[in-house]
Amino acid sequence: MKTLTVTAGLVLIAVMSNTMAAAEKPAIEKQAKQTSKVKQTQQMQHRRRAKQFALAGAEGATITLWKPDLTKIPLEQKHLMHGTITLPPSGLDNYHAIVAEKDWGDVKESVIRYEYLRGKPSKNSPTILSAAQKTEFEIVPDPIPRGHFQYHTDLEWNFITRFKGKPVPNLPVVFETTNGSRIETKSDNDGNVTITIPTDFPDMVPGKRDRRSADFMLSAEYKDSGINYQSALSGEYRVSRMNWRSVGWGSFVMVIGMVAGGFIGRSRKNKRT
Amino acid sequence: MNPLKNLSVIRKLVQIAAFALLVYGSSLGAYHLADKLTHALPALSCAFDHNGSDICALIPVQHQLGHRLGPVITSGGDILMGLMPTLITLGTFLFFFIFLNKAFCGWICPLGTFQEFMYMLGQKLGLQPTENVDQKIVRKGRPIKWFMLLFLIFVFPLLSGVGFVNHDLMDPFCKICPSRFITTLANGDASQLHVDTASTTTIVLTVIADFLFGLVIVLSLTVRQPFCRICPILALNAVFRKLGLLRLIKNASSRCDKCGLCAKACPMDIEEIHTEMEKKNVLFEDCTLCGRCVEFCPEQDVLQMKYTVIPVFSADPKYFKDRNKAQKKWEKNNLMAKLGNNRKPAGDSPA
Ligand code: SF4
Ligand code: SF4
Repeated sequence: MKTLTVTAGLVLIAVMSNTMAAAEKPAIEKQAKQTSKVKQTQQMQHRRRAKQFALAGAEGATITLWKPDLTKIPLEQKHLMHGTITLPPSGLDNYHAIVAEKDWGDVKESVIRYEYLRGKPSKNSPTILSAAQKTEFEIVPDPIPRGHFQYHTDLEWNFITRFKGKPVPNLPVVFETTNGSRIETKSDNDGNVTITIPTDFPDMVPGKRDRRSADFMLSAEYKDSGINYQSALSGEYRVSRMNWRSVGWGSFVMVIGMVAGGFIGRSRKNKRT
Repeated sequence: MNPLKNLSVIRKLVQIAAFALLVYGSSLGAYHLADKLTHALPALSCAFDHNGSDICALIPVQHQLGHRLGPVITSGGDILMGLMPTLITLGTFLFFFIFLNKAFCGWICPLGTFQEFMYMLGQKLGLQPTENVDQKIVRKGRPIKWFMLLFLIFVFPLLSGVGFVNHDLMDPFCKICPSRFITTLANGDASQLHVDTASTTTIVLTVIADFLFGLVIVLSLTVRQPFCRICPILALNAVFRKLGLLRLIKNASSRCDKCGLCAKACPMDIEEIHTEMEKKNVLFEDCTLCGRCVEFCPEQDVLQMKYTVIPVFSADPKYFKDRNKAQKKWEKNNLMAKLGNNRKPAGDSPA
């Protein structure tokens, strides 16, 4: 497994155990391995525990939790231990954004991750959260995957590169996964980036359900007025369900159903005549 | 007959508009359509449809019972808190349901619309028998929708949540629902039409789903609304039908005894609409408030659709005459007739 060598200095991925120390980028790799192992248990527990994320390069970073209604909770020292962020309950249901920023003067780094937190029903659309400017230069999912449409391999997903709310066209972006894949591409004239997440989980068995997940980072760099902005979007992806689903067999069974329907229809008609 | 005065034509136009909105709505760019309108629609609009603008009430109920109530029960937590999301969904469902009552089935549901248009195709091909479905079969089939509601929407998801049955039975109805195929195929996505080899449960459920879908496609060419008859939403809507503002009223006349045209016109083969002589409220559990019985009743005001106490559509001899003529003309003009098969025109014209 390769190390994430993303353009942004900040790296944010999911963890389940707060005993994991992940202050340095290479440690992320180790965590990714452990993360995929614990995730199966995690699903069984229906994610009732507070969500945790490893943030590499966290020293001096400002971390903010954006709520669905665009109010913000600044994350303090108590939420950040040994490079691990523990999200506090926000009281609202729906997608939230974890935004970590670092300002070096001539370099501004940021990483954003959208996560669903439970609470009272929020009347706000996730679109409002993705549309809001959370940091000057950001990569935004279009749309935030939700419901049945979470990031899976083998499917195309759209993102937008944005500076101060405006799309940034023709910008080189790098997509990397904790499984070691790396894709270099560019945003189009409208700032849209389309990525097909590769199937890069090791030791997959064809036809067998695979519940593993891994993390990705989509990062880019943008220069404006002498400042170098580096930003990344972080997220989780899973193995495509089509690895254990057969459309061919599905169509075959449907045809059998159609033939059965034809017989029933015919027997009714014959009765009449 | 002026088509815009024909209730069935008006209903078809509403159905087409509702289909477009529910199946393609979120691609129209408005974010509240992408966020889904009610999250608890009293009709089968599917959550697997990328571009859909709403989801039916059944999917959140299954997930909330499995993911929220189940774990609360196993951990000995506050049951009311675990039940709260389901109550909120059912409350939202009820809020919208009150306005249209069971007309969500007859006027809004994408799967109901698909079946009706398939039947129209069957009519144009000249495939239909002239007889309604045998009443014995109709009556025997009625309890199925209650079993579907009880077991697939409530019992299995809850048992899965408490760990009695496996995780793949968390949303068993969604796994077999034909609306999942119709709405995704309408968006050019064939991936839902699959056999899922993840476990024995998923193999069994997806094989049932694919078979049922094929059956519904072909059966709806010759039988009106075949899936509706076993649909759990039909049952759920039936539970709350007395609370809806749109009602179906009968002021029985002595001539009803001999007539029975309303029952013949009914796509759900509800014979009671004809035989009921006492009750005024004739919104039976299988009714979809399509209004065909009112259209084909030849007696003034015997059948009426009322919004609270206001009649919105009433039986009328003049309307009946024109409507029946239009129906006969529609049925006569079919492929079989054109090919010279000189049997009695196929179709469901009651008179
Ligand atoms: S009964 Fe028919 S119309 Fe009503 S929700 Fe079910 S499929 Fe749709
Ligand atoms: S009883 Fe009347 S309104 Fe109800 S489904 Fe039958 S024809 Fe339609």
